[in-house]
Amino acid sequence: MTQSKTHSFLKNIDKILMSLVIFLLLIGLITLASASQQNINLIGNQILNILIGMALLISLSHIDPKRFLFYAPYLYISSLILLLFVVFFGFESHGAKRWISILYFNLQPSEIIKITAPLMLAWIYHRFQNNINYKTHAIAFMLLAIPCAIISKQPDLGTAILIGFAGCIIIFLAGLSTRIIGIFSFSLALSLPYFWSTLHLYQQNRILSLIDPGRDPLGTGYHSIQSMIAIGSGGFLGKGWSFGGQTQLNFLPETTTDFIFSVYGEEFGFLGVILIFLIYFFTLYRSMYMAQKMHNTFSRLIASGLVFTLFSSIFVNIAMVSGIAPIVGAPLPFISYGGTSMVVSLAMIGIIMSLYSHKSLIAN
Amino acid sequence: MNQNKFKYIFTNRLNILFFAFIFIFSMLLIKIFYLQIIKFEDYSSLAKNNSLKIISIPPIRGQILDVNGEILAENKLVYTLELNPKNRPDLNKIKQRLSNIIEITNYDLKKYNKNFSESSYSSTLPIKSNLTDTQVAKFVANQYKYPEIYLKQKFARYYPKGESGAHFIGYLNRINQKDVKRLKKLNKFDSYIGGDHIGKTGIEYFYEERLHGQPGYKTIEVDAHNHVVRTLKSVAPKHGEDINLNINYKLQQVAEKAFGKYKGAMVALDPNNGAVLTYVSQPSFDSNLFINGIDEVNWRKLNDSTHKPLINRVVSGLYPPGSTLKPFVALAALENNIRRPPFSIIDKGFYNMPNQSKTFRDWKKGGHGEVDLIKAIAVSCDTFFYGLGIELGIPKLNSVLKRFGFGEKTNIDMPNEKRGLIASSEWKKLKYNEKWYQGETAITAIGQGYTQTTPIQLALATAKLINPNNDLRPHLLKESNTSEHMKSNVKASIDQGSEDLRLIKKGMSLVTKEGGTAAFIGRTSSYNISAKTGTAQVFSLKKGEVYDESKLSDELKDHALFIAFAPSENPKIVIAIVVENGGHGGSTAGPIAKKVFDAYLNRIN
Repeated sequence: MTQSKTHSFLKNIDKILMSLVIFLLLIGLITLASASQQNINLIGNQILNILIGMALLISLSHIDPKRFLFYAPYLYISSLILLLFVVFFGFESHGAKRWISILYFNLQPSEIIKITAPLMLAWIYHRFQNNINYKTHAIAFMLLAIPCAIISKQPDLGTAILIGFAGCIIIFLAGLSTRIIGIFSFSLALSLPYFWSTLHLYQQNRILSLIDPGRDPLGTGYHSIQSMIAIGSGGFLGKGWSFGGQTQLNFLPETTTDFIFSVYGEEFGFLGVILIFLIYFFTLYRSMYMAQKMHNTFSRLIASGLVFTLFSSIFVNIAMVSGIAPIVGAPLPFISYGGTSMVVSLAMIGIIMSLYSHKSLIAN
Repeated sequence: MNQNKFKYIFTNRLNILFFAFIFIFSMLLIKIFYLQIIKFEDYSSLAKNNSLKIISIPPIRGQILDVNGEILAENKLVYTLELNPKNRPDLNKIKQRLSNIIEITNYDLKKYNKNFSESSYSSTLPIKSNLTDTQVAKFVANQYKYPEIYLKQKFARYYPKGESGAHFIGYLNRINQKDVKRLKKLNKFDSYIGGDHIGKTGIEYFYEERLHGQPGYKTIEVDAHNHVVRTLKSVAPKHGEDINLNINYKLQQVAEKAFGKYKGAMVALDPNNGAVLTYVSQPSFDSNLFINGIDEVNWRKLNDSTHKPLINRVVSGLYPPGSTLKPFVALAALENNIRRPPFSIIDKGFYNMPNQSKTFRDWKKGGHGEVDLIKAIAVSCDTFFYGLGIELGIPKLNSVLKRFGFGEKTNIDMPNEKRGLIASSEWKKLKYNEKWYQGETAITAIGQGYTQTTPIQLALATAKLINPNNDLRPHLLKESNTSEHMKSNVKASIDQGSEDLRLIKKGMSLVTKEGGTAAFIGRTSSYNISAKTGTAQVFSLKKGEVYDESKLSDELKDHALFIAFAPSENPKIVIAIVVENGGHGGSTAGPIAKKVFDAYLNRIN
């Protein structure tokens, strides 16, 4: 009796994907324990974040995709309102307004947009699925551009680009003609100098110090250099858990959030990096496989949109800490400390599982 | 668009994205591979540089003590306020902020800037030195307000005797760029990491290595805020050695007091081992002025003074020896069997060059009557020595002078020693491209002309009259009295009991007897003193002029010289004195020597 109950409770959970995610969460907790210098409160909080995220994941996996479809516009509009709310009432941290306080939680609406924007785009394409033309793409693009514009003004260029990128993937997968893609890429390349001029000075500095971190080793380039030192000095086998000097002696900034991968790299070495790369790879591969197996436009587009949101988050974070990309505030999914990021990442997995397990329900 | 076409495009494009995704992941992995495997060594050492710091622990400098353990140079615990020049502190702001606790004067700021421009080296530089206890207490109570100002407790050099003995003790000063270059060349730079003073003159310079010691160090691990996490390795410093000198400070005081306001130099040696017993160079200066960089006003005063107080006259002062050279000239004559007693001349007060019309006058108008070699020394008969010189010739004279150390450094343990000069025809040809005149031989024989000596050379030559075969090398360091490597390469090479030496010493012993040029010091002496007086011309008289002391300004008056040893029978102390513009050797320098002899021989030690 109990067993069958449990079975039905977890019946929509994809075991392979779930195992991979749990593996990542464990690596994350172990690394966080070292990165926080065994701060019990912090680890406790993160476990709580994971439990909330897991509960949401399991609940979402049970929700009929029809409901996602039905609620998509409302969710999109409410998350836009939250974003605007941030602009007017949000509180500042590290020079950017990203958070709002709801009850006891500090919420980061830009994280929520990571789900609701793909939902909205998928909704559009589903709505016009029989007549997808350049107008549909233009509307989708508009719907994507609005939240991106707001977020980039917070300023949180990293998240804006991330969401824009995932949205563009959806538009691409929805069949935007190659000719338009070509024209668009070309004009984007031409307008790069203009975008450069609209960047904040600190953003320009970040990009410049990426090209040459030594140009300001104690300023903008400092974090980048310290992070590369942490990863590089880890070597093949790493310095061992809690033995990373860069981490433990505080040369590395933001060890529990943005730079947690550097901690991992320093303490577990290249061997550890290969392991975490493999798990990420199979997590994303499994999700893409599931998306590909889905039977309707809506499901496939949301699933792949979410997969590439996760992918670009992982890419941006690791590229940033290893000195490929400029330093933007971007957490590493499933690993970094942080409630909103953790809950949203797990929710994405829940939605993908729901879409996969309910594939027949909204078939056309 | 139908569903199948849509699905087809979707699958196709998802495949493209999948490959892009693999490509991007590989790029990331390659970058990490580059960091962790290829560049591992680099980043590993960068990580260590981040957290491992080596802190040097400076050694405590050795003290300088006199023969009885009297302290001549010591270390005093002082407190200074220091700034790190790398932080580019705003000096005026700091001055203002400190004003209610400690007054920083413009002079302090000037000194800081001077040190900043000169010493490339120290990690922090003093903005205020020698804080009083009250100032320290006030600062400590308010320290939290001044995180950029460091209160440092350190040992500072202190010279308790001030001006007394300043020339031989020497002084420390901050290490400057020139020192850094020199130390690096000698491969000794490592010994100075963490310290910032170095000996510049005197014993402080000469025995720098022993006085300084070897710094220790600590390897510490620091965190990003530069807080010490732990000490990994610690090597204690090797402190500098204390240095004992042969100088007898009580005797030194007697000598300085006897010297009074005169300028000049005086050095006393133990003729049996070359130990330097007193070492006076006047005028002097306060060594303490130099320790943290001398200020401009004092520097100008010392450096621009016509009295040249900074010159260490014992080793760097060059003087014509005057008649103090005569005993050595006489010895050269005897060795060549010239004018050996009982040979004598009748001195009428002048000497005519053979075959020439040139006439040389004796210092005594009317002359000394019948004079043999012994009397010539006792009364300092110029006439006798003019002829002796002409008969002897310069080469034979010089070979004897060289054996007594003239024209060569004595290799005393002092920096900046001068060689002096014994002139020859070859030398004159080279220097002036002129031929040597016989008249020059005549005046060289009475210690005038080109010959130049340092007071330490005169003292050493005199000691060699007593111990001609000892490897005498004048030295201040006490342990060199017995040490083998301290030997001079110059030997007088005469049998100590030889008749030649006996005659010379006989002449010198008569100098302090009735009729001698320093008879008045012998009159009051309870022991026998052998001596030779000398007067060196500063101002050349034109032909026909008569030297009249009272008409000449002080700077143009003759230098008074005096060499002596006592007691004559068993000499325990040798002395050489130059009193600049002191007039006659016997009357000015003699009494100074007498006071030192009295003090030493009546057991002041």
